[in-house]
Amino acid sequence: MMTTNNIPIAEKGVIEQVRKISNGIWDVTVFSPEIAGSSCAGQFVHVRVTDGFNPFLRRPLSVGPCRGDYLSLVFNVKGVGTSLLAEKHPGDRIDLIGPLGNPFVFPGDDQHPVLVAGGIGVVPLLLLDTQLPGSVARDFLLGVGSTDCLPVDDVEIRRRKINLASDDGSIGYHGTVIDLLERLLTKLKRRNVVIYGCGPGTMMSALKDVCTARSITAYVSMEVPMGCGVGACQSCAVPRADGDGYYLVCRDGPVFDATEVDLSTGVTL
Amino acid sequence: MNVDTTVRMGELELRTPLLTGSGTFGYGDEFRTLVDYSKLGGIVTKSISLEPRSGNPPPRICETSTGGIINSIGLANVGVDSFLVEKVSILPIGETKVFVSVVGDSVEEYAEVVGKLEAVLGISGYELNVSCPNVKRGGLDLGGDRDAVEAIVREVRSMTKRFISVKLTPHYSVIAPVAEAAVEAGADALTLVNTLMGMVIDAERRRPLLGNVTGGYSGPPLKPVALAKVWQAAQAVDVPIWASGGMVNGTDCIEFLLAGASGLQLGSVFFADPGAPVRVLDEMIEYCERHGVGRLTDLIGCLEV
Repeated sequence: MMTTNNIPIAEKGVIEQVRKISNGIWDVTVFSPEIAGSSCAGQFVHVRVTDGFNPFLRRPLSVGPCRGDYLSLVFNVKGVGTSLLAEKHPGDRIDLIGPLGNPFVFPGDDQHPVLVAGGIGVVPLLLLDTQLPGSVARDFLLGVGSTDCLPVDDVEIRRRKINLASDDGSIGYHGTVIDLLERLLTKLKRRNVVIYGCGPGTMMSALKDVCTARSITAYVSMEVPMGCGVGACQSCAVPRADGDGYYLVCRDGPVFDATEVDLSTGVTL
Repeated sequence: MNVDTTVRMGELELRTPLLTGSGTFGYGDEFRTLVDYSKLGGIVTKSISLEPRSGNPPPRICETSTGGIINSIGLANVGVDSFLVEKVSILPIGETKVFVSVVGDSVEEYAEVVGKLEAVLGISGYELNVSCPNVKRGGLDLGGDRDAVEAIVREVRSMTKRFISVKLTPHYSVIAPVAEAAVEAGADALTLVNTLMGMVIDAERRRPLLGNVTGGYSGPPLKPVALAKVWQAAQAVDVPIWASGGMVNGTDCIEFLLAGASGLQLGSVFFADPGAPVRVLDEMIEYCERHGVGRLTDLIGCLEV
């Protein structure tokens, strides 16, 4: 767990583009120069989905790929809030607070980063992939249920050399992304691997087990129900692995060393 | 037209009636780059207890289908000793009035916490939380007990000359007996209301959405409940009322002034709009200008029934 001295900014972004990527997965590109220009991979923005107060809470969304002054918000439509977000139009203004939380710790010179994503959990890892120096060799794995719910375009999958796994075998390796990771780690056995993970709770628990068994450092990004986003309300608690209370995802995370948190509860993605 | 927004409460002059609701504004520093402190008459901190509390199991917050939110934080706080070491230095003392919320399991605990806080210069007063729905003790059990509330307030009153407000629960249909007891014991103000106990169920999974099963219901749906309690209390006692309950805009705040409140606590609204103090104050001033009201305090208790 690390804490940076972020200075969150409230910014009214302007929506540039709203695009459906696949079944239930949307990409909203926002002109948001201050936040786009200062966000690091792993951080999040707190998004107000309506000008009114129903739904009441903001939605914490990982910062996806940024291009110059533009921020990419990629999300799964799960309920009222994300539905409203998917119904926005180019030119609409959107109230953002960010960047919030602590970013991923970059790999050391002797480390080989492996990015392991489950579904929409790919979003912060896309920005990490973008922000890692081009000279850093890496592996990027993505697990999905099926080919019709890919959270990334085909072009991006090829350009970023993402290795896919699907539960139904409709694309890439037939199996879980954790199976794919195990095979990769066996191939990479002499390398000093560091893992960056984001995905559903069951996948994160399995990822932690693999890393513990192989003594591999893993950084995981977590998402839980959240209130203020700045550490004031203490809603976004996750149990500490040592049993001594809780960390706050907004203030102490959302990126944690996997050994620090109990990944078996509270993760919803 | 220049509208006077200042409000006097006992020895204190607040530059506006706007305060922050305990538990929504942390230790006063977390929102620093997002909230304009100059629009706030004061802040009320998270509730501080004698020992640290780690809080309730997650999930701790969710929305309701009725437009509000429910939380079950469980009074997580660092405890008074760590508060003195780590948090006092970040309180916005000097920028606005600072009130420390205090919670305990017994009269002695309230007294011990206040005793330690008395050494801190610059604190304007205390809000005694006797009404949290998320903990078994130091919560509703105490808040509904007239004798317990009276004993807590009397003990704290004997220890401090600072301003004391007592935060009460909305759970009792007749608020007057506990309100009167708090005032008789020396409270300078009453805060009405704490959250209303509620719960949210996920029918598909047949499970509660909060780790603690039940939680405190807040946000806009709480407003009518809070208005009624503020109005009732204002009829019963002769001390300032700090209103708390779902205010999100200037009209909401004006309604609470008319019902008899002189302090207005913004709470859950900070989660949606940290810019609320600026917006809400502008809207209140606009109301005053439209109605030819020169001072916000002229509206207090002006409900025509």
